Amino acid sequence: MKHWMMALTVATLAGCASTQAPKGASDVNVDAEFVVPQLAAAGPAFRLPEYETLVLDNGLTVYLMANSKVPLLTATAVVRAGAVNDSEPGTAALTAEGLLLGTSETDKRALEQTIEGLGASIQAHSGKEGTQISAKFMSKDLETMLPLLAEVLIQPDFPRDEVEKARQRYLAMLDQQKESPRQVVNYYFDSLLYGQHPYANASVGDADAIAALDAFDLKLFHGSWYQPRNTALILSGDFERDEVLALVQRSFGRWRDGDTPTPPDLTRAVTHADGARVLLVDKPDARETTFLIGGAGIARTDPDYVSLQVINTILGGRFTSWLNDALRVNAGLTYGARSGFRPLGQHGSFAISTFTATETTQAALDLALETYQKLWSQGLDQATLDSAKAYVKGQYPPKFETADQLGAQLASMHLYGMGPEQINRFQAEVDALTLDKAQALIERHFPKDNLQFVLIGQAEAIRKLAQGYGEVTEVAITEPGFRF
Amino acid sequence: MGIRTALLTGLLMLSCGAQATTAEQVQSFTLDNGMKVMVVEDDTIPNANMYLFWQVGSRNEVPGITGLSHFFEHMMFNGSKHYGPKMFDRTMEAAGGRNNAYTTENLTVYTNWFPATALEVIFSLEADRIAHLNIDAEMVESERGVVDSERRTGLENSNWRVLQEEVKGSAFRAHPYGWSVIGHESDIHAWTLDDLTEYHRTYYAPNNAVVVIAGAVKFDQVKAYAEQYFGPIPAQPAPAEVRTVEPVQTGERRVYVQKASVSSPNLMLAYKVPAAKAGDYYALDLTLSLLTDGNSARLTRALVDEQRLATDVFGYLPLSFDPNLFYLYGIAAPGVDVGNLEAAMIYEINRLAAEPVSDAELEKVKNRKLMSLYEELETQNGLADSLGTYELFFGDHAQLFAAPQAYQAVTAADIQRVAQTYLIKSQRTVGVLAAEEDQD
Repeated sequence: MKHWMMALTVATLAGCASTQAPKGASDVNVDAEFVVPQLAAAGPAFRLPEYETLVLDNGLTVYLMANSKVPLLTATAVVRAGAVNDSEPGTAALTAEGLLLGTSETDKRALEQTIEGLGASIQAHSGKEGTQISAKFMSKDLETMLPLLAEVLIQPDFPRDEVEKARQRYLAMLDQQKESPRQVVNYYFDSLLYGQHPYANASVGDADAIAALDAFDLKLFHGSWYQPRNTALILSGDFERDEVLALVQRSFGRWRDGDTPTPPDLTRAVTHADGARVLLVDKPDARETTFLIGGAGIARTDPDYVSLQVINTILGGRFTSWLNDALRVNAGLTYGARSGFRPLGQHGSFAISTFTATETTQAALDLALETYQKLWSQGLDQATLDSAKAYVKGQYPPKFETADQLGAQLASMHLYGMGPEQINRFQAEVDALTLDKAQALIERHFPKDNLQFVLIGQAEAIRKLAQGYGEVTEVAITEPGFRF
Repeated sequence: MGIRTALLTGLLMLSCGAQATTAEQVQSFTLDNGMKVMVVEDDTIPNANMYLFWQVGSRNEVPGITGLSHFFEHMMFNGSKHYGPKMFDRTMEAAGGRNNAYTTENLTVYTNWFPATALEVIFSLEADRIAHLNIDAEMVESERGVVDSERRTGLENSNWRVLQEEVKGSAFRAHPYGWSVIGHESDIHAWTLDDLTEYHRTYYAPNNAVVVIAGAVKFDQVKAYAEQYFGPIPAQPAPAEVRTVEPVQTGERRVYVQKASVSSPNLMLAYKVPAAKAGDYYALDLTLSLLTDGNSARLTRALVDEQRLATDVFGYLPLSFDPNLFYLYGIAAPGVDVGNLEAAMIYEINRLAAEPVSDAELEKVKNRKLMSLYEELETQNGLADSLGTYELFFGDHAQLFAAPQAYQAVTAADIQRVAQTYLIKSQRTVGVLAAEEDQD
């Protein structure tokens, strides 16, 4: 593989109306007769497809977005409850797992036989701020699958023996995740960055706390947070509006709304460290050091979100980005280096991430920092900014190609309180970004001082050099959870 | 036959107006130099892609140059006559495009995703590196470091990688499927500029490629560009056939790998199976699905849910030009003896050979295959990847649309027969990955 997939985290829609020649065209025109082709004229700008929003009497918000390229349908329930709602870390995660362990009407085995017999699936996943339960099926199976989704969402039974089995398996999975530094490095980073704020909670939870959970805890969490007013249902794909709406009413209308507890205050300030810190996670048999460097970022609804995606594209959001160019292409220190913002509802983080052989840890850290400093010492240039703008616009539409992707987008918009206008002005916002504005945004939003580091690797080999980057705290990767 | 027709006659009634791509919507042509091009017009989004499938992979290597196909994939991005070092990526990204590539045992595949407005730029970039690649000595050295890191990070983060490398090495003692696609570390450090130059000349000939373009494009425009940009690239003699045929395996083989940080043992069973074209692919693929696809699958139900011997099981059946392996993988639950997991897994496999599956169970996995097919057809990317894959492994892209019937035609007796024929002890290689030292 040339490079591991760069996840572009822009979450709004792009058109692709650039009519400029690619930048660098003059550099490559070495033959008199050779000309880099011009871009063709673009069609109409790409927009979020039309959809309908309704609220049922019980407070459940329903989004309907019909499209029918293939006879498939995705129905997603998004509940505003995630790791931030955990009293014991992992309750939200295990509750989501527990939904599929059987309902008051159907046991686990029967559920699985019905769903999988149709070639369909229902999956539940909890994140930091929300839980999504998503059913994917052929549109002919709507009458079976939508009521089943309602059943697992509204009346899970959390049978004691199944919960115990799921819990044991989940604990083993947490241990297995730690065999792969890449899978856990972000959890450690959030723990370091957010400290006592609920955003420090890892979405997967904490092995120690999960070891103490039982079916009752899951019932309690479900009863508290899984309420219609705290939930949205999104239907996306191949369906007839009236037919599906009647079925939604029949399946979800009976769900009685109750009070939810007071949600955690996510707006409260994050206490940031007053100095650079290094969390050194010891994995004695590591072949390489996996590391993140970063600090505070932005919330998803920050008005600068789109502009920052463009700027980050230059720094570490694509193959020719500064970081990948320096660490991979020029130095051969790594297979890939990148950076990105991870926005949440009220705050967010920013981090540079890469990995390198144990022996080249210091060289890679230094080069990453030196490259990052170019944001201030050298600044952006017009050609690179233009290229990044074309890139984010060009790569945007494929993120919204399938019913599944569009459904996920509506779920995220619901969770973060965004309307379609925020999506549809993406292109205008990209186009409006100038060099001056970009430089001002760098000053405002990219963390410059007191950087926070997570290094996962052989502590014995890198302990000493780690001290050169900040105050070091060391933890064994085999310690439960991600706190230190 | 189009997919809608196939479904109506074979499997089920569709509810309403969904318009999946059909075989008739795939247009194709072959240039005079032998390059075959397939085109699908799909304007769901204003984007398009270009897939270039080169018939070269680790099966075309020999000892000393293991991993060269994959390394070469990297070198294709490092400069050509008109687009010097770094300019392939810089030009494409400035035009709004993105790319990647992957190498397998059988193929090297280059992928470009771009706004449809950049179609001609993509043709220009691809044509230049196919016809006029520059293999720069300095870039080669730097790229060795990148591939070292790629190899290392795979082994660091993926137990599958660690174990598969050893299992393949044992299952194949003659055929090139025996080494990993990324190659031996010593070969990565040792191959020469001549090796690379020769590889490009031999394998990157238009007659050795299949190209697929799907997206908001017009067939006539694609054809004109293909003729203009790819047409002048001369054909080359067909590459030599892979000569080595793996000798018949006549007994079980075993490997053990130690890795200190593994929290519970990982188990891999790999059975010798025929090439994709040989006829039993669909039956084997459904067999894999019966064993591992979903919570109701046999291995998941028995080992994870009922006996709690494993925390996870999964499998893999690569599409392949030559006879290859049918992989099953299990991660032992904490405290479980890996021998017990192995015995239970083999018991379930043998049960497939002993008793026919029920109609309902067979219909379930056929439905799951149909879902997957729709998911592939839903994106420009899935369309292009699948069309090229079917063209190469089954000899005709239209086979993609006939896949529902091919799966539908598989009977319970077929499942039993392939289990009896291939999923047997003598054809098996067993791999164990664990933290403890292998001891008597």
